Amino acid sequence: MSAIQRPGDRLSMPLPATIAEAIGLEMERDPSILCIGEDIGRAGGVFGCTRGLQDRFGKDRVMDAPIAEMGFAGMGVGLAQAGMRPLVEIMFADFIGVCLEQMYNAAAKIPYMSGGRQRMPIVFKTAGGCIGSAAQHSQCLWGLFAHLPGLKIVAPCSPYDHKGLMAAALRCDDPIVFIEHKALLLRKGRDFRHNPHAPSEAYTVPIGKAAVVREGSDVTLATLSATVEHALAAADALSGEGISVEVVDLRSVVPLDTATTAESAARTGRLLVVDEDYLSFGLSAELSMRVLERLGFSALKQVERLAVPDVPIPAALALEKAVVPGPDMIAEALHKMAQGA
Amino acid sequence: MVSMRAFDEVCLDALRRKAIHGELHVGIGQEAIGAGMAEALRTEDAVVSTHRNHYHGLAKGVDRMAFLAEICERETGLCRGRGGHMHPFDPANNFSATGIVGASLPVALGYAHAFRIRDEGAVAVGVTGDGGSHTGAFHEAMVMAGAARLPMVALVENNALAISVPFDDISPTRTVAERALAYSALGLHVNGTDVDKVADSFAAAMEHARSGRGPVIFEATCHRFRGHFEGDPEEYRSREERQKLRDSFDPITLYEGKLLEAGHSDDAALKAVRANEKAKMKALLQDVLDMPSPDPSEALQYRFVEEMTA
Ligand SMILES: Cc1ncc(C[n+]2csc(CCOP(=O)(O)OP(=O)(O)O)c2C)c(N)n1
Repeated sequence: MSAIQRPGDRLSMPLPATIAEAIGLEMERDPSILCIGEDIGRAGGVFGCTRGLQDRFGKDRVMDAPIAEMGFAGMGVGLAQAGMRPLVEIMFADFIGVCLEQMYNAAAKIPYMSGGRQRMPIVFKTAGGCIGSAAQHSQCLWGLFAHLPGLKIVAPCSPYDHKGLMAAALRCDDPIVFIEHKALLLRKGRDFRHNPHAPSEAYTVPIGKAAVVREGSDVTLATLSATVEHALAAADALSGEGISVEVVDLRSVVPLDTATTAESAARTGRLLVVDEDYLSFGLSAELSMRVLERLGFSALKQVERLAVPDVPIPAALALEKAVVPGPDMIAEALHKMAQGA
Repeated sequence: MVSMRAFDEVCLDALRRKAIHGELHVGIGQEAIGAGMAEALRTEDAVVSTHRNHYHGLAKGVDRMAFLAEICERETGLCRGRGGHMHPFDPANNFSATGIVGASLPVALGYAHAFRIRDEGAVAVGVTGDGGSHTGAFHEAMVMAGAARLPMVALVENNALAISVPFDDISPTRTVAERALAYSALGLHVNGTDVDKVADSFAAAMEHARSGRGPVIFEATCHRFRGHFEGDPEEYRSREERQKLRDSFDPITLYEGKLLEAGHSDDAALKAVRANEKAKMKALLQDVLDMPSPDPSEALQYRFVEEMTA
């Protein structure tokens, strides 16, 4: 290993380098882990999440695949059945349509269909999120995947969580969709408001546990992925006006940590769920309902949700900004809630 | 062959007795392929089959009792009644299946890659019907297997029909095997009603793949004697047509004819073999029908590792 780096140095690491570090450490630890995907070998991934890994582990374990997602997603299923632990990278979440078959009919269902006799340790790693790339290159889709029973859905925000959750995903025996956010992948550690430092050694963060990333007393804001950063920005902006926001980073959609959210909402009396995915039949309704089922339907003063209003993501940035919850839109929603109180 | 057919015949019986639900696909008429595979398959090899999977599972050595119990949706089945007839999984025998046409090939590709990098000398067989050979998944898997010379055999059971659509009407090529050239694969085409020919040719295909010479498209032409699924009204062909196929292409009758001609057997002995297998399978079904159904209170179990029991 290289000389020990000080935390300060590590804050200049791009997030993809932190992810590559997590994958590399796990591959060293467990020879059954291997990666397949487009441009992940020679190029090290379009964002650099596998940079350097092919040189270290060879082409058999870090494989550049042809543009044949159905083929190599299914290959992941076969590898897992053969006792390996594949990480299958689908470059962007939007492309999963062409191989969803292998994810939702095979990977997700086989553990159950086999009566628990066939384990399915496989990580589908993909990049989602809205960064001005329009309708076919700007989706989160975790609500879609979460609707399909059998998949665990992880979508981290902080560098610390990306590293720890990737390690946990690679150690888990269930199929996992690991959704990165393209805007976060373009950041360095120091660009993050919360938990920017990921230690150099291997560690895991448990899958299925939310984290309170900012404490507050007036309203609970639950969200995940890049929106956590927007939420923290909005909460900072509002603190000057005497509105105190507690921010919960859900970190995964399946399992969904209702308990942490409900506990916080019970304290603040208000819940706002913000989701960069589509509004209808999605995370925001599901989490709100679960919290109410848990606390009782009259336990909270307000429950609101903010998500993409069921429209393909438009190309024009001005339009994207109008439909994707960013710091301003979140601040406005929080304001409204404060006024309605 | 005789025991495979007897197995599917008791499945028909179980269906009549309402022990099986959903669209049951039997392989009656296609026994020469199942039986022909069996000899060349080793325990470490993998077979990824289709909706019409019974014969391939039996050829792979799946326990008959557990298999039939799964088909009959019992807690004691291969998959505790969660998979059923279209989705049997037997990890110990590297046998699995899919109800999605074409989806078997990519999974076989994964096994093949694992076998190669672990240098195990095992072969992955992905089964498909002629219909499945037209899917993108078939093409994608062959591209990758061909490029990496993986130990994979794409076994195409060409029974001339995909539900109602004749292969000849929709295939751009006369056979599937001739497409092998496009993938740097070996293409073999065999009469899938002749068990000896299937066995020899399939053994050659397995040997080719096992020895590192790359993938094979192994196509066996045959006929399905019953409907696509049990309950198929078969509007697309006449009774007479079906009868003609049974009369001319029954792999069991054809093989019995060979044995008789060569003087290796006689009528009485052959009848006894058939009767014996029938009786065995009937007894097996009786045992299976006495087994318990899964407990409804456990319907949610086995989705995630947290829900696993020993
Ligand atoms: C992707 C997909 N499309 C359609 C179906 C419905 N379907 C089931 S079997 C079948 C025909 C398959 O024909 P073939 O591959 O030749 O196999 P055979 O039934 O003749 O054994 C169809 C269309 C399916 N299961 N999966």
